[in-house]
Amino acid sequence: MTTVAYVPPNVLPPFLQKFAPLLKRKWFRALVLAPPTLTRRRFSNKTEDYGVFRPSLIERIGQVSIYVQDIDRSRQWYEKLVGLTHSRTCEQEPHPSKDGWTIRCCYMSAAEHQECLVLVEERNPAGKVSVPTGMSFFHTAFELQGNGMKEVLAFAGQAKRDGYAANYGPVRHNGEPPLGDGETGGNVACYFYDPDYHNIEFCGAMDTIENYRARYGELKGSARS
Amino acid sequence: MTVHVPQKRIVAAKLQHHVIYVSDLQRSKDFYTRLFDLQFSALNHPDSSAAMRLAQMEMHFFSFGFYHHDICLVKHHKLRMDNGSMLHFSLVARDRLAFDAIRSRANQIGAPVRDGRLIASARTSPGQRAFCLRDPDNHWIEIIEEQGK
Repeated sequence: MTTVAYVPPNVLPPFLQKFAPLLKRKWFRALVLAPPTLTRRRFSNKTEDYGVFRPSLIERIGQVSIYVQDIDRSRQWYEKLVGLTHSRTCEQEPHPSKDGWTIRCCYMSAAEHQECLVLVEERNPAGKVSVPTGMSFFHTAFELQGNGMKEVLAFAGQAKRDGYAANYGPVRHNGEPPLGDGETGGNVACYFYDPDYHNIEFCGAMDTIENYRARYGELKGSARS
Repeated sequence: MTVHVPQKRIVAAKLQHHVIYVSDLQRSKDFYTRLFDLQFSALNHPDSSAAMRLAQMEMHFFSFGFYHHDICLVKHHKLRMDNGSMLHFSLVARDRLAFDAIRSRANQIGAPVRDGRLIASARTSPGQRAFCLRDPDNHWIEIIEEQGK
């Protein structure tokens, strides 16, 4: 299938991807944040954790469906990079919310999550496949089997050996050297662009309600840093 | 003789979290917390997060109640979001009562609801309930009841 070489506007240019590892250095983060530090906006618009203390009405994410230009190309990427398996590809069916349009769906499964990802070719009434815009979601994230820092680091090495270049990471989303990038969540993560420039995170070791309490106790916000 | 033992490949276990673009953080925050009881678990602001400053984004994190974040809402301060790269995402209700509560709240806030799975070819087990609605930015959300809960 012919695909259009479209790069969405939110994609990190290659030269910025080279600078991204510097976010693991505290001095670099301080440099980037110098203007809001000097104007004191940094202290009124704080980046902080608020904690997780009670259940919600939702248990988990069940499925994500993303538009792709070429199901075969995308399927191969997810199979080879991270071992998703093909469950089934369906015949064309009516688009659920656009009259006259059709979709064709390929259902992919992860090791512990059946049909978690749907690769969708969307066609207009003339039969032309849509080019994904990149502007509906910033990223979607898969937990790696084992769910630990060592698994994420091993995965980053495995991907590199297989010829896949991460656009960011591996990093840890907290302030702890050597991997911490000053963000929140505690997850160790690396990010890759799929063939349609969807940003896909592979992660593990995210903070939970249990280790959150163990680490911070009753401290909140800046008192934890 | 050296025996080569192939290393076990690391594979994805499951979907963990999903980060969607929104056009109005407060409006979407109200929607997601009111409908699902999601907890606002963290804020990454471009005035105090170097990564957010470089990306020109602000990100609000929400938890289902165990992990630090499961759904994140992100506002890009320069680019405009659209519905052109994602068809939908689905959320599994904690149990039967939670499914009913979400449905009831959707009615209360006047959100139009469509019964069943969004994609006709999606698998449905016998007796499984599902419905779909759109968030304030027209992202399709599907709510699923898992059997036996």
